[in-house]
Amino acid sequence: MKKVINKLASILDDKRWDSVSIPILSILLSFICISIILLVMGKDPLLAFKSFLQGSGFWPKEKYGGGNGMLTDLFSFLNILAPMILAALGFVVGFKAGFFNIGISGQMLSAGFLAAVIVGYSDLNAVIAKPLVIIIGALAGGLLGAFVGFLKHKFNIHEVVSTIMINYIISYLTGFFINGYYSDAITRSMKISGANARLTWTNVQIAGVKCNIPLGIVLAIAAAFVVKFIFDKTVFGFELKAVGSNMRCARYTGINVGRHIVISLTISGALAGLAGVTYYCGYLNTIVPRTLSSLGYDAIAVALLGNSSPIGAIFASFLITIFQTGSNYMSSTVGVAKEIASLITGILLLFSACGGYFRYLAHRRMQRIQDEWDIKDNPLRKIIADNSDERKEEHIHG
Amino acid sequence: MEDYIVEMRNITKRFPGIVANDDVTIQVKRSEVFALLGENGAGKSTLMSILFGLYEPDKGEIYIRGNKVRFRSSNDATAHNIGMVHQHFKLVDNYTVAENIVLGIEPMNRALGILPYVDIKTANREISLLSQKYGLEVNPTDKIEDLPVSVRQRVEILKMLYREADILIFDEPTAVLTPQEIEFLLKIIDEMRKSGKTIILITHKIEEIKKIADRCAILHRGKLVAVLDVESTSSQDMANMMVGRMVEFAAVKQPPRYRETVLEVEHLSVRNANKFEVVKDVSFKIRGGEIFAIAGVAGNGQGEIADAITGMIQPHSGTIKLCGKDISGLSIRQRVEAGLSYIPEDRQGTGLFLDFNLDQNLCLRKYYKKPFANQHILNFSELESYAGILIDKYDIRSAQGIKTSLRSMSGGNQQKAIIAREIEEHAKLIIFVQPTRGLDIGAIEYIHKQILAEREKGVAILLISLELDEIMNLADTIGVLYNGEFLKIADASTMTSHDVGRYMMGVKGQ
Repeated sequence: MKKVINKLASILDDKRWDSVSIPILSILLSFICISIILLVMGKDPLLAFKSFLQGSGFWPKEKYGGGNGMLTDLFSFLNILAPMILAALGFVVGFKAGFFNIGISGQMLSAGFLAAVIVGYSDLNAVIAKPLVIIIGALAGGLLGAFVGFLKHKFNIHEVVSTIMINYIISYLTGFFINGYYSDAITRSMKISGANARLTWTNVQIAGVKCNIPLGIVLAIAAAFVVKFIFDKTVFGFELKAVGSNMRCARYTGINVGRHIVISLTISGALAGLAGVTYYCGYLNTIVPRTLSSLGYDAIAVALLGNSSPIGAIFASFLITIFQTGSNYMSSTVGVAKEIASLITGILLLFSACGGYFRYLAHRRMQRIQDEWDIKDNPLRKIIADNSDERKEEHIHG
Repeated sequence: MEDYIVEMRNITKRFPGIVANDDVTIQVKRSEVFALLGENGAGKSTLMSILFGLYEPDKGEIYIRGNKVRFRSSNDATAHNIGMVHQHFKLVDNYTVAENIVLGIEPMNRALGILPYVDIKTANREISLLSQKYGLEVNPTDKIEDLPVSVRQRVEILKMLYREADILIFDEPTAVLTPQEIEFLLKIIDEMRKSGKTIILITHKIEEIKKIADRCAILHRGKLVAVLDVESTSSQDMANMMVGRMVEFAAVKQPPRYRETVLEVEHLSVRNANKFEVVKDVSFKIRGGEIFAIAGVAGNGQGEIADAITGMIQPHSGTIKLCGKDISGLSIRQRVEAGLSYIPEDRQGTGLFLDFNLDQNLCLRKYYKKPFANQHILNFSELESYAGILIDKYDIRSAQGIKTSLRSMSGGNQQKAIIAREIEEHAKLIIFVQPTRGLDIGAIEYIHKQILAEREKGVAILLISLELDEIMNLADTIGVLYNGEFLKIADASTMTSHDVGRYMMGVKGQ
């Protein structure tokens, strides 16, 4: 047992791998924890995990409905993954520059609404309509973000307060217009937008099954790498991190802090806007009035789980989305309420927040081992240690 | 066997990348003043934090009054009558003095025999008595936020005494005090010793140890160098042992060779957020090769003058000329590029990004320019090699070289990093604000040498300091600031430290 722990500590303490090994440990621990909960409930955890994978298209189900297959599930997983990654990226950009953008939901909603209103009901050619939707999404979200940044810079209004308020304003404002002008008589939701504007190709036949192919996933992965490049390599990204790290020192360095506040929140909002159009004009093609998507809030948790790094956001989105998409199927096979997906998200977050502590424990253990080795097993070192003790005695008494 | 009240045997404590205490053994006798002397980062505070139960040692044993103890928290230490005054006070700002002192062990009473409440009246009375007994004057009903630093320190001391501590640890108690307040504190410590308390004093100021301590342990880079009898050891020896080499106390200064005027400040006024004039119509000039020092008690407008010149705040009126060019309208970056360097007072809050690595912090003035950046893309190998050169040239010590997080570095080395970065700008004017505050003599000696070397090169230097000694040692011209105005600007050779001290207190004219 002790040997196993020591080995584990030596792996975790290795600086080259700790950005991978620590999250993996956290995830494993949460899986163990979740399994225990399922066992206590009298369910089979392995079956549950398998069902999550089946539900999100990573494992074949026993049987499929007419025209569907594993690929159908996989593409529908990717469909919801895309807005999740983009929303998490939006949060990451704000967070690195020192802001807590809770307004992602509102920015998503305004972007999705405007794109649907302007392009969704037009009969533009798809080649023009789709890029237009993306541009409108980024602009709408970006402008809202810029407004938050402006309030922060000019009047020192905390972004958490302003974004929460704006979320409500957007929710009710779009709700008013949808109910008044764009409401579908039967569903009471927004009238569905045309296929020309939708960022998902629906009902495409691949390998004999129907699939909804999301364009957004390409956008999301590309965006993650662009964000990574900006923060890792560019002067601008360095300055954003500087503003996020210490605003006073950023000013001292000569960075135009106000400008950077506005720009960072604009980018954050623009990414949220992209998440909005991939969600409302891709994954869905309608908007339920006066409802903010929970995805905009889940994205915050996802971003933090991914250690607020852009690439981490991809992996974290992946993991969380598996549980969220797979929860329906899991609930039908295992018989556990699908809300357990939220519980799992919570447990994952809890353990990933302990990452720093695991690192510390591993480091301390390695040093204890080093100590014992120094004194006991190495005769040469022992002699040196003894001698230095004697010398010290002389100093004290002499 | 002597009667030791505190024994710490073979204490080892590690932090990531650093051994803070390496097999340290100290023994403290009953009712003595035992000093711990060492540079910043020598491990004094860590050792005492272990004794106070804030850290557990990786190795080693602690004996209190001959009994082996293991402290898991500071509550355990308090139960053994150990008290500690931290360098940064731990007080609740919007509570009263009495509330802070009794916090955690409040005298309780029951209203109507059932409802428990804090009996603040008893507490106030007890604290008045206690403060009279030790000559530590406080008003129990004052709120902490309204009190000056020296009184807050008294509150901290009373907090220990109220908990009946008889082993009192002071972590750098004089760092925040004025000379008069230091005198007073040392007197209090002396009286507490006479009344039978044992005092452990962490400090890097040798003159204080000379004044008050009986014995002194010297730490150097985590290791115990020696335990000395203070009376029979010279200050010079102590300083050498503490730094680990020979130390020169006073810097050698060449006669001044002034050049043309570099900085011209005319009728500068600065108002604070409440529209109150904190700098009033100040005018002065600094020539190349001249050290112009602003002396004054803290909070008389010194910081605002520096901030106004560097562009950190907007002055209300007045002009600032650098080499004849008006820079009042320029941005901070434009001023830096016009030839101005700034070592700010708050080195951790303003001068550095504590979460960034050393190499990035060393390049804060350059990162956006060629060859460090090309078409807005950073060139990391250039940044790193430049940082490496600075680390060698200025002897900046850190655990992991250029990739050390600034947070983990000692105060002295943090300051060295700022000074290296600013001097390497080869500016025409360098502003040093409190460049040696909180640093040990090794670092002070080093920084004074750097300042004088820049003067030799013909750089104009504005030095703002609260340390009178520093000003007297370095300045060519002294301006004494009182209430936002210069009471006196004169050649340093025409004034004694006594004169300067008088102007600092606001005494005008002869």
